[in-house]
Amino acid sequence: MKMNKLKESEIDLSVDIAGVKLANPLMTASGTCGYADEYADFVDLKTLGAFVTKSISVAPREGNEYPRIVETRAGMLNAIGLANVGLEVFLKEKVPQLESLGLPVFVNVAGTTTEDYLKVAEALEDVDIVKGCELNISCPNVKAGGIQFGVDPNAVENITAELRKVCRKNKLIVKLSPNVSDITATAAAAVNGGADALSLINTFTAMAIDIEKRAPILANATGGLSGPAIRPVAVYMVHRVYTQVARPNNIPIIGMGGIQYASDALEFLLAGATGLAIGTALFVNPQCIVEIRDDIADYLARHGHGSITEIIGTLKIG
Amino acid sequence: MCSENKMSGRGVYMATVVVNEKICDEHFLLRLYLAEFPSAAAGQFVQLQCRPPVAQAGAAEVARSEAGLPEFSSPELTDKESLLRRPLSLAGRRVSGDGVELEIIYRVVGTGTGWLAGTRAGQAVSVLGPLGNALPIIPDKPQVALVAGGVGIPPMIYMANALHNAGKSVTAFNGVRSKSLLPLSPGSEPISPEGLPRLCCSQFQSSDASAVVASDDGTVGYHGLVTEPFDAWLDGEAKAAAGLVVYSCGPEPMMRAVGEICIRRGIECYLSLERHMACGMGTCQSCIVKIRDDSPQGWSYKLCCTHGPAFDARDIIW
Ligand SMILES: Cc1cc2nc3c(=O)[nH]c(=O)nc-3n(C[C@H](O)[C@H](O)[C@H](O)COP(=O)(O)OP(=O)(O)OC[C@H]3O[C@@H](n4cnc5c(N)ncnc54)[C@H](O)[C@@H]3O)c2cc1C
Ligand SMILES: Cc1cc2nc3c(=O)[nH]c(=O)nc-3n(C[C@H](O)[C@H](O)[C@H](O)COP(=O)(O)O)c2cc1C
Ligand code: FES
Repeated sequence: MKMNKLKESEIDLSVDIAGVKLANPLMTASGTCGYADEYADFVDLKTLGAFVTKSISVAPREGNEYPRIVETRAGMLNAIGLANVGLEVFLKEKVPQLESLGLPVFVNVAGTTTEDYLKVAEALEDVDIVKGCELNISCPNVKAGGIQFGVDPNAVENITAELRKVCRKNKLIVKLSPNVSDITATAAAAVNGGADALSLINTFTAMAIDIEKRAPILANATGGLSGPAIRPVAVYMVHRVYTQVARPNNIPIIGMGGIQYASDALEFLLAGATGLAIGTALFVNPQCIVEIRDDIADYLARHGHGSITEIIGTLKIG
Repeated sequence: MCSENKMSGRGVYMATVVVNEKICDEHFLLRLYLAEFPSAAAGQFVQLQCRPPVAQAGAAEVARSEAGLPEFSSPELTDKESLLRRPLSLAGRRVSGDGVELEIIYRVVGTGTGWLAGTRAGQAVSVLGPLGNALPIIPDKPQVALVAGGVGIPPMIYMANALHNAGKSVTAFNGVRSKSLLPLSPGSEPISPEGLPRLCCSQFQSSDASAVVASDDGTVGYHGLVTEPFDAWLDGEAKAAAGLVVYSCGPEPMMRAVGEICIRRGIECYLSLERHMACGMGTCQSCIVKIRDDSPQGWSYKLCCTHGPAFDARDIIW
């Protein structure tokens, strides 16, 4: 193959997520970057294309009991339980610091009832810096909270349609659970309900057992598996949703699950993701977003692509 | 990877191993050289990446065999080591040449510390920090007792030094399971089998601090739990309770006992807690400690990594 090597500085990394322009596809995965202030010392968050917040619910939540995490081979389980400051504190204290980032912000919205979701989404309509709601119907760690909306296609379509009515200024992103037998069914339901974008995947419900105590290690018994261990499944799910739902409907995908290096990120782009979210890898190396961004540019230069959009969904099969 | 120079200076830094030597059974002293590292204080910790830093994990062209198959050298195939970083207390920091040396004393308990034990001088290790808060030095308390168990002893050496420099009179109580696990070297006086303070440990003697050593099996010093000679010593110091502050670090049952003794006697006491941590930066919400407060439910979760690791014994709900 003949390639014209470009200079990295000539590469256009910008992408468009349902009309929101991002300088590059990289975002934080919800729940792994707090509300931005926590990471301020460790990495220049302005490197990101967009910032995605920890889940916000109407009322503050303390979350689950300790222990909440356990490391597993090439991954980790978490059962944080959507611990968050709640809508009121978020608006008063966290929004100003997000404003200073100067990035588009997507707020991850969680709830136990449809009304909860609507209340949060409605309040976010008045916040300029917020460009979208990421609907979390896929948290595996709260008994009555989220996932019951996320595994049944009818429920997905209904809650998406309800939120569609209140998300007027804000884009509506639906975050899909991998804990389903056919993720294209829930993806299609979200699109039918009016989603502007899909993000996938949330964590896999999983368990780790203390063999001496013959008891689960996590206080919550189960947790969500994230990190490099889930990446091949996440890439496959992005590929399926892209070819069967997203591409035919012209809906962008935000891909995530185990991205640690640029080579991982490129797999998601080739499989059809327009945006990329980084979660667990940020705990290990907060600067990985800078490295991934620069290494993607390097790859594009090596392959003679002037714009990142040229490679999205260009996976060759068969 | 690079050292980020932010306002506070906290960040990811690349270190080189200067010394990694066994100091007693299961315990190693690790001295790291860094071209730069922010000022740090006793009580703070770092997160070490217990695996070789990945220099070029980008998206370099994949090599191919003659048959045209990709010769994978991607990180997940070459990385056999653990994913998350390991929290370890600082046991010392000093300026060295035109850089900084950090001291860490660790006990080999699993994968990460096992990898560390095999590192050699000249090897690179990625350091995230400094994290957590310094142990509070209380101005109106001239007398200090340090009560440490096992791997909680090393941070107390650093603490004793800081307290000595602040003009405090320090007594250090050290508990170990057995003589072979004592990470301290002899001072000018012999260790008291009755558990009385002596200038018997060089690391504390250099801060003019007398020390008590207790062992569970009676192979060194007092035969029994370190809390016993500590409690007995307090009988003698009881009148001074108002001028005394206690810091403790070590196994949780020991710290609980120290906390109870101090609360009963009305002595101010800080316990340096250990929690399983994914990030160490305050984002993942995994390292929770239940802390009493005046909220309606009477408590809230605080983060060991950012609010601690030391907490006032009276505030901790076990
Ligand atoms: C603030 C803080 C300071 C510490 N300071 C020291 C120190 O100075 N010296 C020292 O030897 N140890 C210290 N520890 C404990 C040390 O972090 C663990 O021994 C270490 O993480 C074990 O890792 P491993 O891979 O060898 O063990 P594994 O058992 O293989 O680890 C499995 C997982 O459990 C976690 N884990 C296991 N034990 C602990 C523990 N006690 N605390 C937190 N996480 C744990 C590991 O990080 C890892 O994710 C400290 C812990 C904390 C929270
Ligand atoms: C500690 C932790 C907390 C998380 N909290 C949330 C959350 O509040 N809301 C949410 O939608 N996803 C949450 N997630 C899921 C991530 O956003 C992401 O979907 C998942 O971890 C896969 O990406 P990764 O492998 O890069 O971490 C959390 C993940 C982790 C590890
Ligand atoms: S370790 Fe992540 S919040 Fe404390």
